[in-house]
Amino acid sequence: MTGAGYAMDPKWNEDAPIYRQLRDRVVAMILEGVLTDGDALPSVRNVAAEYRLNPLTVLKGYQELVDEGLVEKKRGRGMFVTDGARVQLLKDERRRFKEKEWPLVAATIERLGLSAEDLLKDVGSSKPSSKSKKGENND
Amino acid sequence: MTSLVSARNVSKNFGSFRAVDDVSFDIEKGRIMGLIGPNGAGKTTLLKAVLGLTDCQGSLSVLGLDPFRQRKELMKNICFIADVAVLPRWIKVSQLLDFLQSVHPNFSRERAEELLAQTHIKKTSKVRELSKGMVTQLHLSIITAIDAKLLVLDEPTIGLDIIFRKEFYGNLLSDYFDEERTIIITTHQVEEIENLLTDVMFINDGRIVLDSPMDELSDRYVELMAGPDSAEQARQFKPIYERDVFGKKVMTFEGVAREQLKGLGDLRTPDIADLFVAKVKGEAA
Repeated sequence: MTGAGYAMDPKWNEDAPIYRQLRDRVVAMILEGVLTDGDALPSVRNVAAEYRLNPLTVLKGYQELVDEGLVEKKRGRGMFVTDGARVQLLKDERRRFKEKEWPLVAATIERLGLSAEDLLKDVGSSKPSSKSKKGENND
Repeated sequence: MTSLVSARNVSKNFGSFRAVDDVSFDIEKGRIMGLIGPNGAGKTTLLKAVLGLTDCQGSLSVLGLDPFRQRKELMKNICFIADVAVLPRWIKVSQLLDFLQSVHPNFSRERAEELLAQTHIKKTSKVRELSKGMVTQLHLSIITAIDAKLLVLDEPTIGLDIIFRKEFYGNLLSDYFDEERTIIITTHQVEEIENLLTDVMFINDGRIVLDSPMDELSDRYVELMAGPDSAEQARQFKPIYERDVFGKKVMTFEGVAREQLKGLGDLRTPDIADLFVAKVKGEAA
């Protein structure tokens, strides 16, 4: 009967079903490297209790991840991140970015008359702490 | 399908007052049913009938038993937390455990002690020395230690602060609930429990106004936030309820496809509190 974790109470939004938002949250954790290949997902019971969700909702969210091949069920032991899940996700996300987001960004760049040089220079200077490689930022 | 609770045309009169009016419903195993209604709607009377604490007209079966006539048998497999404190104030926690161990065949003292060890409740304390939140914790601990098939909670968190309330539901899910167990719960703090319900039932004036699995609500009900220009057009689809929010009209529709309302404003699934108001006020109008 611990009181821990309530501060991180999630705010569910009303536009998508909660199981879907739960799935997205796990995907974000895999992409960010919080969960890596072979890591166990928190148990259905724990997630349900922590967020006061019906266990079936949690199970449904996890099942989506199983269907997508990102998570595998091990009998009696729980759910685990599949080997290569992050690589797979990155591939999907990169493709999605290139197909869906990049055309919009590219159109904006063109509309504003920005050059690749301008943009890359800004990317470089916005990360002052990153190790400066030879030949970069030499103006 | 075999139902855990099955009610057919159940009614209950107090003199000329009809507290429960011709109610029929089923509850399956492994569900968490929220019974929502205003004060005096008949919730507690209905729960009492389910628990066998009052007789009623019509047919009612709980775990295959007639609750009023076979209450002794039924009590082995159901437990109950009422909105009024029922634990005697003079009893010590250790005496309470002794008592339950001696009278209840499905009570596990070991489990109760395990659960109590996670709280600040001392076994030497008397109920009267505990805070309201601790009494509820104690109550939940002993009830969780009973291997019951049906748990009935009537306003279990009334008067508790938000931390205790959250903890109560967290513990209920982590320590008590599994797919073999079933819970019926009433509360006025609907928004706190709506995500943990599998089913919801609205009761008003002794009648069931709505009885639905939670995941079907989004198919049947939709809320539209319409600007002044589209409100008139939206009204053609006959909303069951309409209210004003910041100069916009919020309309609740039943059985109207989302595609038909597309373009008239923002659409969303109403939350339980809003839907309850829409159903109850909409019917009265």
